[in-house]
Amino acid sequence: MVQETKPVPTIPIDELVKRMHGDEDVFILDVRNADDYAGWKIEGERVRSVNIPYFDFLDDDESVFARLPKDKEIHVVCAKGGSSAYVTELLTARGYRAVSVEGGMEAWSQSLHPVVVHEDDKLKVIQFNRLGKGCLSYFIVSEGEALVVDALRRVDFYEDFARQNGWTIRHVVDTHIHADHISGGRRLADRVGAPYFVSSHDIFTHQGALRFEPLEQHKTLRVGAVDVDVIVIPTPGHTPGSTSLLVDNRFFLSGDTVFVSGLGRPDLGGKVSEWAQDLYDTVSNKLKALSDDVIVLPAHYSHHTEINARGVVGARLGDLRRINELLREIDRKAFTAAVEASASTERPPNFEKIIAINVGKLTVAPEEEIELEIGPNRCAVHHATA
Amino acid sequence: MTVQELLQKADKVVDATGLSCPMPVVRAKKAIDALSSGQILVVQATDRGSLKDIPAWAKQAGHELMETHEADGTFVYVIRKR
Repeated sequence: MVQETKPVPTIPIDELVKRMHGDEDVFILDVRNADDYAGWKIEGERVRSVNIPYFDFLDDDESVFARLPKDKEIHVVCAKGGSSAYVTELLTARGYRAVSVEGGMEAWSQSLHPVVVHEDDKLKVIQFNRLGKGCLSYFIVSEGEALVVDALRRVDFYEDFARQNGWTIRHVVDTHIHADHISGGRRLADRVGAPYFVSSHDIFTHQGALRFEPLEQHKTLRVGAVDVDVIVIPTPGHTPGSTSLLVDNRFFLSGDTVFVSGLGRPDLGGKVSEWAQDLYDTVSNKLKALSDDVIVLPAHYSHHTEINARGVVGARLGDLRRINELLREIDRKAFTAAVEASASTERPPNFEKIIAINVGKLTVAPEEEIELEIGPNRCAVHHATA
Repeated sequence: MTVQELLQKADKVVDATGLSCPMPVVRAKKAIDALSSGQILVVQATDRGSLKDIPAWAKQAGHELMETHEADGTFVYVIRKR
């Protein structure tokens, strides 16, 4: 049997992510069961992954081991890090170069990675990518002041990030009430003493019990002493209160309204036809006024191919108009038909409970919060024609 | 059927309560290897991961998962060896 005295070689998630952004392929052996692997896994441009459940290794079956490379480092991952350590030990004993990914998919789901989208004398835009879930949040920084958009539940991360850079968080904004992950907006605002902005429509739709500053009552939020204005543009569709922020006329933080791969799904409220009409109005009236050169920065993405060569999830609006017919001239009927047709019955896991937490109606223990968020994001409408 | 009744049917019982993944499956596998075809193994576990992993393992190994029972956070699996 396996000895438990020798330490198993492990790798932290952050180190794995660094390797995934390197020049070499990263070989991942996912030892969860086939259903869990099919539903959600670590993906990336450089990732080569194989699924062999850990119990397949228990028989000392040579044909199982034969599927693994001897000349590459094998990154073994499971749900929480227990089974991956077990398999790593078996592999190491057979002469494979294997490391167990610390904390497994649970850690992967929680990890955040900052990428600088833009930097000049007066403005810095940073995107935080939660790779394990396809969630994006943002820092808009000018003259040492920061506005945080769509903060995730690990608020200590944003707090530390601001402190290390010597920035003061002045505003915390959620573009809408999220259904797929727990927002850190209210908590972050409390901890740094900043106001928390979100649309009243979304709070009232869910009879929320949260302290908030109605976002729709502000046309501009100022960051820093220079003229970096954040223009609040109501963009209903994904939710009735969905709001986008246009930063310095250059960056369009679109929430779940426009993605790199399509539009936000309007069906999570159970009113797909009604909300699809809203989405049409948003696209044909509000978005139409924006220049092709505006960079769209969404709150989510659903596939790693949406991450560009610089590690950013974002695209010129003009480029999105070219590839997505829903963003071009299209009549109301064709638009709503396409959107309704792509409405999916597949909901984000636990979305009702997550919404209740995000509007302040429900409080759960941190362990349950982590559990509720596990799994992929399902907020996008993929191109109907792709 | 109560847990007691399930336990009475067993040719072998594995108590993996308090153990986390992968140990419930590892212990079950070791125990079932010592049984003969058609004999019954009962596994008790508290790890939630076992809810998916025990059925997946049984299916892959060709054993029949006859019953899954949950009471007070303990999962009881009744497995017939192939």
